[in-house]
Amino acid sequence: MIKWNQILAGILLLAFNAGCESSEVEEPENDPQAKTVENLYAPNDVIDRSTGEITEERPFRYFSLENNQEVDNRDGNWDIAFKGTTLIVNSGTSGPGSAQGTVVTAAFDELNEVPSSVAFHSDGADGMAIPTGSGNGWYNYNPGTHVISPIPGRVILIRTNAGKYAKMEILSYYQDNPPLAEVDPMRSPSPYYTFRFLLQPNGSMKF
Amino acid sequence: MYRINLNKYKILVGLFGLLIIPSLAFASDPIYIQDVEGNPIPHALVKIGTEQVLTVGNDGSFELPDNLQEDQEIIIIAMGYDTRIFQARELSQVNKFNLREKIGQMGEVVVAATRTDRSVEDLPMPVTIITRKKIQETGGMRLSEILREQTGLQVVGDHGAGLQMQGLSSDYILILLDGEPLIGRTAGTFDLDRIAVSNIERIEVLRGPSSAIYGSEAMAGVINIITKKSQERIVANLESRYRSFNTLDLSGEIGMNQNDWNLYAYFNRFSTDGFDITPEVPGKTQSPYQASTAQFKIGKKTKKWNFKVYSRFYNENSENSMQVAGEGSPRLADLNGERMDLNLNPTISFRPNDQWQMTLRSMSSLFQTHTLTVFQEDGSILDEQDFKQHYHRTEFQTDLQLDSKQLITIGLGHLMETVEATRYDDNNRFDAGYVFLHHQWDPSEKWNLVTGVRADLHSQYGERISPKISGMYKFNERFSWQLSLGAGFKAPDFRQLLLNFNNPSAGYYVFGANLVQQGIARLQSQGLVQQMLLNSSQFGQLEAESSRAINTGFRWKISGDLLFQGNFFQNNISNLIETALVARLNSGQNAFSYFNIARVISRGAELDWTFRVSENLQFSLGYMYLDTKDLDVLEKIDAGELFRRDAQNRSQRVQRSDYGGLFNRSRHNGNVKINYQESTTGINMALRVIYRGKFGFGDVNGNLILDDSAEYAPGLISWNLSLNKALNNGIMLEAGGFNLFNQTTIYAPTNPGRVLFAGMKLPIHQLINQYK
Repeated sequence: MIKWNQILAGILLLAFNAGCESSEVEEPENDPQAKTVENLYAPNDVIDRSTGEITEERPFRYFSLENNQEVDNRDGNWDIAFKGTTLIVNSGTSGPGSAQGTVVTAAFDELNEVPSSVAFHSDGADGMAIPTGSGNGWYNYNPGTHVISPIPGRVILIRTNAGKYAKMEILSYYQDNPPLAEVDPMRSPSPYYTFRFLLQPNGSMKF
Repeated sequence: MYRINLNKYKILVGLFGLLIIPSLAFASDPIYIQDVEGNPIPHALVKIGTEQVLTVGNDGSFELPDNLQEDQEIIIIAMGYDTRIFQARELSQVNKFNLREKIGQMGEVVVAATRTDRSVEDLPMPVTIITRKKIQETGGMRLSEILREQTGLQVVGDHGAGLQMQGLSSDYILILLDGEPLIGRTAGTFDLDRIAVSNIERIEVLRGPSSAIYGSEAMAGVINIITKKSQERIVANLESRYRSFNTLDLSGEIGMNQNDWNLYAYFNRFSTDGFDITPEVPGKTQSPYQASTAQFKIGKKTKKWNFKVYSRFYNENSENSMQVAGEGSPRLADLNGERMDLNLNPTISFRPNDQWQMTLRSMSSLFQTHTLTVFQEDGSILDEQDFKQHYHRTEFQTDLQLDSKQLITIGLGHLMETVEATRYDDNNRFDAGYVFLHHQWDPSEKWNLVTGVRADLHSQYGERISPKISGMYKFNERFSWQLSLGAGFKAPDFRQLLLNFNNPSAGYYVFGANLVQQGIARLQSQGLVQQMLLNSSQFGQLEAESSRAINTGFRWKISGDLLFQGNFFQNNISNLIETALVARLNSGQNAFSYFNIARVISRGAELDWTFRVSENLQFSLGYMYLDTKDLDVLEKIDAGELFRRDAQNRSQRVQRSDYGGLFNRSRHNGNVKINYQESTTGINMALRVIYRGKFGFGDVNGNLILDDSAEYAPGLISWNLSLNKALNNGIMLEAGGFNLFNQTTIYAPTNPGRVLFAGMKLPIHQLINQYK
């Protein structure tokens, strides 16, 4: 009996050592961590139901990925901004900066680098860096239930104003990031963005 | 409705020979042919030798001729019953005898499969018949309640009670009334609750594509509802049923069958308080409604001519309420709906001799709906919708019996359809012409072939050729195997072509395929379009949705009392029409149109066992396996491009094994049915246990496909029991219940839970005869 316990302890010790060893080896010199931003409130313009015209225009909510904080206005150092279901990047027709973006199909955690085939875009008259519309960019709209659901497996890639690369995933459009099955569009307040992103501060394309 | 038929009693006639035996002189007392319940069988044939055929009176009686030889074989044949063979001596000693029904409705006549009369067992394709008796036994009032108990059929709530067959939805199932198509669909669904059942004589269920005869819509199969006509000289019945949810069904019918005239009139009034499976939400799951159905049929037969005019009227009023979400607090609104349906169907047929028959028929229909939604607080109108559809079809059919083994049918027809609706631009008209050719051929006793082809020329989708070939090989009297290959199609409907819909509050436009070019051009000229997502060269004509299908199976009469049938099927459907995004507008809104994009496969098996334990006890078992897949989804999964969200809303990759196929389809369905006639009390009992397996109700994890255990509604078992008893004076009493153990789910909105009923049928003509 005692013998078995000793062997078991030995195995555990070995595993522990091995674990320490491997984590030391694999850890990069700077270790960017994915950050989660919760409940960024970005209401859409007020639209007249009968005509479809905008009666009250509301501002975008601007966000800097490099500083992990909101930016007050369009002229600031922001990378991405939110209003309703529309996402813009700070360049082209949307802002004075040079941030560009694109959307790729991938699992956020598995995406280790910016694929070489990816082209970054500015917002412009011929299209947005992050396409709008159900099924095109980052979300699906279900006309039966009226739920806005972020499309699983869509990762937004951003090259920031400073030329650094970030990957980002929208987790929820509803307050407090509820599981999708629990979203009731009549009752769940929206649009409250919850998203996670990872910025590689050393300027490399690897995450 | 007599047509040329290919039933094979000729073969039976050849089976016996003549023997020379001293002849007997028989008393000429009538002998009565009855079914096992003692009802007369008037349509039987009595064959003596190869030459002589005796006619049977309306009371099911016949008299034997004098001077028959004692062991002369006499064959009694009646459609739907097992044939019996007697010796003359045996018959001379009785004054009545019984014929037993063929097991599993094998002997029933089917019209819809070939447009000619043909019995189930001679058809090389999967067909089932639901008889008057079976309909009566269920205690149902509306057609959905009858069809949902059949193997391989499901009733799904989607803009009404829609049928599902071989995994295909109501859009792809043609509904016929006395052989003529019924119109009136909402979002593709034909609401089976529009059809009362107390005037239905039998229902023919044809599985597999039948576009080779019927053209568009007959892609998954065909339901042919055959209504009653008067069999007796005078008939008058009153019927009433009352059940849970204050549901009342009253029917009256009168009929006359004299001097080759046939008159039949029917009226039904149905009312219900509706039911609510989500009481916490304002508004009921099923609206309270009142419906009236009237039918009038008149026919006159001469030796060579047959004239018929059938007409039907349906009217329905419903009211409900709902909560409308908007800015500020939700507001309550009242909904009022009205539906009206009118059919007129005259037919003339001419039969100059045994070889030829010509039929000219037409069907004119009108379907109209009006819905009004009004806010409760101030009476202001939220929404008002009108829809009006006209349909007219004229068809000329010629049947030519080439010889005893071959029958050719040629048909030629024209149809015209118009529609006016709030959401459609103008009065819109479609025209189509078609021709079909059918050949029924029995090359040998064992082989049986039906081939057909139909060509449709349509003002919208151009031309379409639909072939079908079916064959059956009878290994022996007990076992046959059949194979049927066919093509089906469904024309784009009005909505897909003509819709002009703008919902500013939800923020999107939808243009029918015919309008998208000009609709987008208009938006562009107004400077509203920010980005085109599809090139306008892609705005081609919408093509018909099409399928190729194989059905193969067997009928195995293990004994006269045990029947095992199976059918295996696969439908490959392409060009399915779905909406796709066309343009993005400056306001952030989107414009959609309809395109031929999706591809689907549906395959499975339908198995039925029927076992007659004794004359009083019958037992049956049905099972259906179904597997449906969207092929584009499979491609995406294989390419690793499809993901889903976990409980923290993070993405994971979907595997093939996660994919559950199309929504609203159960992989497993089954039923057990027991019929028992208690001989001392005379009570008939029909117990049916209907299982609908778990099915996907909708997406909850964000990828729009069925791949998560939380996306399934649970399987349900419904125990349905009915008891009925016929009194000596012909009055029939019944009582029973549906879904006795009250199993419900919010995802099956046509299932109200437990329903109890009681009913009564008064045969007025019998009562008058008895007491006068």
